[in-house]
Amino acid sequence: MPIKPPHRDPAATPVIVAACRTAIGRAHPEKGVFRQVRGDELATAAVRAAVARSGVDPESIEDVVLGATQQRGELGGNVARCVGLMAGLPLATAGTTVNRLCGSSLQAIAQAAHAVAAGGADVHVVGGVEHMQHLPMEAAIDIHPRVLARTSRGMLSMGLTAEHLAATYGISRRDQEVYALESHRRAAAATASGLFEDEIVPVLGHDAAGGILEVSHDQSIRADASLEAMAALEPAFLPKFGSVTAATSAPLSDGAAAAVVMSQAEAARQGLEPLARIVATAVVGVPPAAMGTGPIVAVRKLLTRPALAGISLSDIDLVELNEAFASQAIHCIRALELDPARVNLRGGSLALGHPLGASGARITTTLLHTLRDSGGRLGLATMCIGLGQGIALLFERLE
Amino acid sequence: MPATARELATLSVERTADGWGQIAFVVPGHRQNVLSAQVVGDLAAALDFLGDGPALNGLLLRSDRQGSFFAGADLAGLETLGQRSLEEIEGLCDAGKTLLARLSAGPPSVAVIDGTCLGGGLELALACDLRVATTAAHTSLGMPEVKLGLLPGWGGTVRLPRLIGLGPAVELAASGEPLDGRTAERLGLVDACVCPDEAGSSARRLVEFAVASDLVALRRRQLAAALPGDPTEREFLAATAAAVMLGRTGGRYPAPPAILETMLAGSAVDAAEAATIESAAFAKLAMTPVAASLLRVFRIGERNRHDPGVGEAVAGEPRAIVAPAIVGGGIMGAGIAASHLRRGFSVGLVDTNGKVIVDNVPSILEEAAWDRVAKRSDPAAALAMAGRLQTATSLAALAGSDLVIESVLERTDLKQQVLADIERAVAPETIIATNTSTNPITRLAEALADPSRFCGMHFFNPVRRMVLVEVIRGPATSDATVAAVVAHAKRLGKCPVVVRDSPGFLVNRVLMPYLHEAVEMVREGIEPARIDRLSRSFGMPMGPIELYDMIGLDTAFYAGLVLSAAYGDRIEASPLIPALVKAGRLGRKTGSGFYRYQGTGPQARVAATDDEEVARLVARYELPPRETSDREITDRLFLPMLLEALLVLDEGIVRDGRDIDLAVIHALGFPPFRGGLLAWGDSLGVAEVVRRLEPLADLGLRMQPPERLLALARAGGRFTAE
Repeated sequence: MPIKPPHRDPAATPVIVAACRTAIGRAHPEKGVFRQVRGDELATAAVRAAVARSGVDPESIEDVVLGATQQRGELGGNVARCVGLMAGLPLATAGTTVNRLCGSSLQAIAQAAHAVAAGGADVHVVGGVEHMQHLPMEAAIDIHPRVLARTSRGMLSMGLTAEHLAATYGISRRDQEVYALESHRRAAAATASGLFEDEIVPVLGHDAAGGILEVSHDQSIRADASLEAMAALEPAFLPKFGSVTAATSAPLSDGAAAAVVMSQAEAARQGLEPLARIVATAVVGVPPAAMGTGPIVAVRKLLTRPALAGISLSDIDLVELNEAFASQAIHCIRALELDPARVNLRGGSLALGHPLGASGARITTTLLHTLRDSGGRLGLATMCIGLGQGIALLFERLE
Repeated sequence: MPATARELATLSVERTADGWGQIAFVVPGHRQNVLSAQVVGDLAAALDFLGDGPALNGLLLRSDRQGSFFAGADLAGLETLGQRSLEEIEGLCDAGKTLLARLSAGPPSVAVIDGTCLGGGLELALACDLRVATTAAHTSLGMPEVKLGLLPGWGGTVRLPRLIGLGPAVELAASGEPLDGRTAERLGLVDACVCPDEAGSSARRLVEFAVASDLVALRRRQLAAALPGDPTEREFLAATAAAVMLGRTGGRYPAPPAILETMLAGSAVDAAEAATIESAAFAKLAMTPVAASLLRVFRIGERNRHDPGVGEAVAGEPRAIVAPAIVGGGIMGAGIAASHLRRGFSVGLVDTNGKVIVDNVPSILEEAAWDRVAKRSDPAAALAMAGRLQTATSLAALAGSDLVIESVLERTDLKQQVLADIERAVAPETIIATNTSTNPITRLAEALADPSRFCGMHFFNPVRRMVLVEVIRGPATSDATVAAVVAHAKRLGKCPVVVRDSPGFLVNRVLMPYLHEAVEMVREGIEPARIDRLSRSFGMPMGPIELYDMIGLDTAFYAGLVLSAAYGDRIEASPLIPALVKAGRLGRKTGSGFYRYQGTGPQARVAATDDEEVARLVARYELPPRETSDREITDRLFLPMLLEALLVLDEGIVRDGRDIDLAVIHALGFPPFRGGLLAWGDSLGVAEVVRRLEPLADLGLRMQPPERLLALARAGGRFTAE
């Protein structure tokens, strides 16, 4: 059901006019296609493409908001500002880097939308980037032991939280593998049919031999994935007893994604055709040990927003639920009673990869393209977040 | 207000003129302060004294003993636990708690912690409102009760989670590992960590601040109430911590899960109820055989630390070694050199092959400068240590040494030659030791003009990890030599056990029957993996067949030759081992032995039971199969070790049976929860051991009860003497 509130001020209505992403590489020191490409370079490629595809007047861009969980090294020193400069945006365009761990670039989109709605700023380039091979997620982090006083050390291992969900809700290893297999199957099929071509910005990387390679496919998707091969794997986080393996955990990845957000009025003024309107956003905290449940609580909160009055989950055409772990995704789907036929139609992060800070913008990009191709109207993007958070955004496709 | 003071046996207590109370502990008769019954009585009296008069502004507890606040409970008190009833033990806990509760309810209090603050000492500090630790290297805070199979019984499991959170509290108490002052501060275990000179004044300022800002009142409420917490987080902690504990202990040690359960249960109720839960859990643990075993292991370790290695007749302090040197820069020599550097010694390293030195010095420095926390070598430390490592290619460099440890290849003729050369190169009073696992000391001593200054010093591989050192005395070795080498080994952080010269010395001799029996069982057609599994479920870190592959079958074969030459009536060398060696199956190092391997890690073993080559060789040397239960296999592995230990005792190879238990635990990984080899024998009982040997009698002399066993059985005696 389309949402048509009687009075909506176009100047305070945030829309997305373009969204794109790089392909996602494996964070592998010898085989990763982006092992010799810096994260800020990937982000620059995504930002340049988003700006070009949108047709936005660069002079109108007020701010670049990028998500990144590891803001150091090549992603340090406020990488959003650096990327704005590298991408040739006007010197007058500002830049800020945000961190909500896995939800960082969904947060970037949300806060741009908030700025538009509040009349605080209009045209934004948003997105996110992660290079998990160059900047491993556990390195150079010093969590205060007193944080653990509220929770416990085990929650620092996302894999253990996934194990706990599996154990608590009786999600068998087989269930997880069947889910992961379907994620690969969908992703491989989408790739083979060229469904990602519109959203992926080809960039140069390197093949296994070390030569130059145009990277336009996600590297972690396994067209040959099988239950037999998955069943042979050792548990990755809980030796002997565990049910979560490398096959049912999102791979470590390198990649970037970007989008252009502005008010509907500004889009009209510049003669741009918005892809979608950002209807509402929600973030929430959950117990760190149950970080995988974040989407459940975030989506329920989202549904209570005034903008969603009269809307229920069954009205939503498509869902992009970030797959950190199969057990986590399964639990969210079951708890929210989502129809699997509407969730992650082109595969999820288990297959495509999960470049943490980029993933929110990645699932948004995929969601908007899938909505466009399927003719759906309402799309939901939601993610679980380490240390116990959830984030959810609702989009309405505009024609 | 005039100052008043009182001196008690273990403390002095004072009311200062400015309205403060001070208690300073010095417990006589111990190197470190320990919480004895006397301390408990004195502390009660001190609180009485301080309570008599106008209210105090604050109370400061400190130690006047250098390097020790309180190192823990008095061992003498713990020893008696085994003889008490559940109710008596609970009563002891409750008495301690009542005393500490008085402290907690009194004037705002602070503990100044400069030195060891462990176990009951930390519980005393936790009973104060506030704590100040010092940055000094000797300051360490922890709850090591778990290492004795116990849990903190004086309110530690109640106060700790309420102060630093449930998860960190479980980690601290279940690991038993101590923290330095800074780490304790980060954790919230202490409120401040300052240099020792500032500790006293900082403690007073802290109390004033905490009283003024209402922190003391807040904390008292927080410590008395149930600990708020999210149920999901609790469930998650319970599940993950239990899984980690199970992985670490194999379910053999009841204390870590008891600590987890006690803290989980205790944090859900108020402090008074939690205290009751703690006392009951403590008493239950104290009654377990595992606690008794661990206490015994601790005790025999303490005994070893105080044992000079020679009879009491030798008067005076042993000679202190100041200029040690090592001859032979191979794996063992390099490891010995590194452990010297690590312990602050300047050490000489001589190898006539200069290339060995050039090749091995980097790894020696890397090992010596290894930072266990950072899991990497500290380059600055390595550079500093380089100056303390003097390498040379000529024995002439040994001229100024007072101890030379020869560590060349295990060939008798070569060793004799090198030892004779060393003797010519050093001063007449220089002690000469040989690092050997198989060469009789008596034989090697023949090469020396003065064998009184010579002994064996058998380090185990890898030297950095293995704390046991066998100090082997030949017939001519002097007491002074032994005492000096024992003292030196202790300064290296090792645990030296003095043994008389005999083939295999102590450790390899006791190991031999176990390894031998395992191979015999393989020849009888028992799956190697079954034997290993049963050995591990007995508590060994790895099974005997895995151990063969780890040691290397060639090495095991040559060592076995020495032993079977000496003890051939009981232990014949098995033909299967040389057959595997001939087939090129030397163990892990060649990718296959009894098992096949891929890679080098702990997961390297290839799960293949259809190894035809092994099957063919086993068939060639096949023994008649026997009816074998799991228990019989286990008996066949460990009873012959016990019998060998009795012979070792009979022959006077060790000075005390406790040395055997210490040695098997430290060198062979014999499970500490069984208390040692002899203690395990006692857990079965002498009569039961005799009974279990009966059905094995047809296996030959090796299963025959030695005379000492029969005598013990007749006398109703025990394997352990203490």
